[in-house]
Order: sequence, then structure tokens, then C-alpha cells
Amino acid sequence: MAQLRIHLTFPEDRVRDPIIYEISKNFQVVPNIRRADVSDKTGWMELELVGDLSEIESTIDWLRKKGVHVDPLEKSILEG
Amino acid sequence: MSNPSVPIHSDSSAHSGVKALKCRECGRRYELLAIHVCEFCFGPLEVEYDYEVIGRKISRQSIEAGPVSLWRYKDLLPVLGEPTAGLHAGMTPLVRAERLGKALGLKNLYVKNDTVNHPTLSFKDRVVAVATTRARELGFTTIACASTGNLANSVSAHAASCGMECFVFIPHDLEAGKVLGNLIYKPTVVSVKGTYDDVNRLCSEIGAEYPWAFVNINIRPYYAEGSKSLAFETAEQLGWKVPDQVVVPIASGSLLTKIWKGFHEFTRLGLVAENPLLKVNGAQASGCSPVYQAYVSGKNHIVPVRPNTIAKSLAIGNPADGFYALDVVGKSGGKVEEATDPEIIEGMKLLAETEGIFAETAGGVTVACLKKLAQKGAIRPDDLTVAYITGNGLKTMEALAGSLSQPVSIDPNLSSFRQIVNPKS
Repeated sequence: MAQLRIHLTFPEDRVRDPIIYEISKNFQVVPNIRRADVSDKTGWMELELVGDLSEIESTIDWLRKKGVHVDPLEKSILEG
Repeated sequence: MSNPSVPIHSDSSAHSGVKALKCRECGRRYELLAIHVCEFCFGPLEVEYDYEVIGRKISRQSIEAGPVSLWRYKDLLPVLGEPTAGLHAGMTPLVRAERLGKALGLKNLYVKNDTVNHPTLSFKDRVVAVATTRARELGFTTIACASTGNLANSVSAHAASCGMECFVFIPHDLEAGKVLGNLIYKPTVVSVKGTYDDVNRLCSEIGAEYPWAFVNINIRPYYAEGSKSLAFETAEQLGWKVPDQVVVPIASGSLLTKIWKGFHEFTRLGLVAENPLLKVNGAQASGCSPVYQAYVSGKNHIVPVRPNTIAKSLAIGNPADGFYALDVVGKSGGKVEEATDPEIIEGMKLLAETEGIFAETAGGVTVACLKKLAQKGAIRPDDLTVAYITGNGLKTMEALAGSLSQPVSIDPNLSSFRQIVNPKS
């Protein structure tokens, strides 16, 4: 089992989507939300995904394809 | 693989003013280990101090009797023993910028000149000096970072001077000159085939897997505290005074928040009088301005951007401390400004032509935003103002290509000199 902590940022057109429900339904991963702040136009969420690494990778690919911005919990690690 | 959150050596904070790590969101406390995130709410951890203990040890006199480096403020930095890295970092000049001030209509302008920081000519030498010392206290023998420039240089140089193993992660398309600047210190430079997002994610996974001191991941709470020394030095060099206005470039946002924290710590300890006028202003490049965008839209949500600016050292698309930087700007009554690439070049030139300081592109951002703040009246002519110039122009020479006048070409004789150059006297 692997676990990955990620920070999601939702664009306006994805804020109302039931993203966590869809993750649970479509992938063999357990999403565990720790912090979130969602308004009517934007929002972010910090969560842990637990499951096989390949399933976690598939989940992240799916999120990115849906237009959700996926970062590690630390956000931008690459500095100048 | 060992768990990097567990120190190889244990240490004690019994005689130090460094108390614990504390979650900025939920307030939970943790031991002073190599950890950076609250296990309960995933909020970032920050170093907590016992200011009563520190207040009994520190004074203007004790600071003035200390080394000519940032370590004169050791009591307010998150190390438990004596410094072992970056012993010459900090105490850079605070320049009275009369000629730049005149050009901008500011009578009380100073430039904090970190273009001459030791050993690698940027403010990163401050944070890395602290991170490396703390990493060694925790028993780490390997240090790492992900960087496109200044941070990589500083981590590589500090690792070399301490005999630590060093890993630097860079995007595969980084310019050759910047890679050479790292290779000279002989770290292991890992070129990652992928986007900046891919580099970020890989480094997060490596940071969780390997027992390394990753300066801006598991060592980040200690690393970030080094930036406070910019505020400490400013106050001391102004004659133990807090300025009315500061202008700070924003990349991750950490620098801005720590400068604010530094002034407040000095005030709390009675080392300086409180200055209720202090406004903290942020400066971003238009090609990567997520904090500016949030500021002008009146939101506290940072929307990640894809950086496209010549100010590479500020090109952080999803800044870790962006929210906290916005909070400090708001609390202090400051503003956030942005500068386009041509404005950045003009800012670099103006600083060089008026003060003889050659700053990297981030310095151009600061000067360009300072100019806008002065023009808009957000900074008034008599305000005691400090602009933070964080890196040396020799690092971003490519940004100036085609922007400067050419040498005057003459034949090797006096008549050619008189005819073409024709100086007045």
C-alpha cells in the first residue's frame, strides 16, 4: 500500500463537481480529506490518497484531465 | 528505507529559546524533528520560541558583540548549538539609496543589498546556512533541494564546505550555465525529464522516502526562519529602528512573512520600539503573479499559474506561503504590485545606474514595484522605506541581452577618440 498527500486546486468550472465521490467510485483508493476551503468560484483541498501506487497514479492522471490542478502537499518545491 | 522524520541524533532544547514545532492552522505542537506538516490537519509547521527565555539572554549589546554574520541573532534562529555552516552569511550592506530615491521621489530610501551575500550572492545563503546547521544537528549527512538557480547554488556550496553529500534536482531543460554553476561544487545534479509539476511531485515523494535533509521539504520550518535575519539586520542597521515601509519580492511568500515576523520579534523583545506605521508590500513578476492576482481580486485563494517570466528566481506557480503572505500584506496595510518583463529590465538598469548595484531579475521586480508604489502614493516621500534586493545580477545576465547600449568603438589613436567619443573636458 502506498500513500500520497496532495493539494488540489479547483477551477471555477469544477468547483461543483462531486470529485471525491467520483474518485471513490472509479478508483481503488481511499481519499482522506484533512483541510479544504471551497467557495462558489474556486477552492482547494488537501487530502491523502491510500492504495496501490498504480491506482494513485491513475487517480492523479484522471484529476489532471478533469482540469483539477494537482500539487504535492508542499505545493511548488522547485525554487529559484 | 529509514523514516526521515526520526532524527539520527536526539538533541535537547532545555537551554534554548527554541520550544517546539507548532501547526500554523490547528496549533498542535511537535518535537523539533525533521518534519514540516501537521499529521492531524496537514497544516504547515512553524518554529515556536520561548520569548521569556530569549528575552533574558538577548540585548542590543549582546547582538553587537556577536559575529559579523546572521549568527549574531542566533538566539532567534532555530538551532540548539553553535552554528556549523554558513558562518559568513548575512550582515550585508544596508545602502542609503539617495540617487535611486531621488529618481523615485523618495527621501528616505534604503536598499538591503543581498547581492553580496556569502558564499553564493543571494539571500538563499541565509536560509541555507540555518537549514544546514539544523540538518547537521539532527544528524543528517545528506542535504537536497529542487531548484533552478540560487537555492541550488547555495545548497551545493554549503554542502561542499561541510563535506555533506548533496543532491540537486533540476528540470531537464534548465540552461547550461545554471547547471555549471552547480556542478562546480560537485553535488549530484539530477536532471528530471518532465514538467515543473513532475519535478515537484517527484521531490515530494523522494523527501518522504529517503533519510535526507530536503531543505524546503522536511527541513522547511527551520530553513524558512533564516529569512528573519533580513529584518533583524535592517532594524539594527537603521539604528535599532523599524522602517515605515518595506518592499519584498514574493516567490514562495515565505520571505515576506518572515521579514514581518522578524520585526515583530524584535519589537516583542524590546530591542526596537514598535512602529505601527510598518507596511509590508509584496512584489511579483507579471508572468508569475498568483499572489498579486489574489490580492487584486480581493480573494484569499491562490490560483496556481504556469510561470512565464524572466524573473526565474520568483517563478513559483503555486507558492507554499502565498496565503500567509497575503495575510501579512493585509494585516500591515501594505499592497502587492507586479512588474512586466520590460519593467523588470528597467528596474535592474535604474538600480545599477543610480546605486551601482547589479541585481538579478528579482531585484528588477522589487525596484519596478517600488516605483509603482511611490507613483501611486502608497509610499510617501518621507516614509522610511527599505527595498530588499535578493540576488546578484551576474546570475541572470541572459535577461539583459539586447537591452544595454553597445561599447563606443574607436581606432587606436587620439584623433579617433576625440572625434567619436568627444568628452566634454
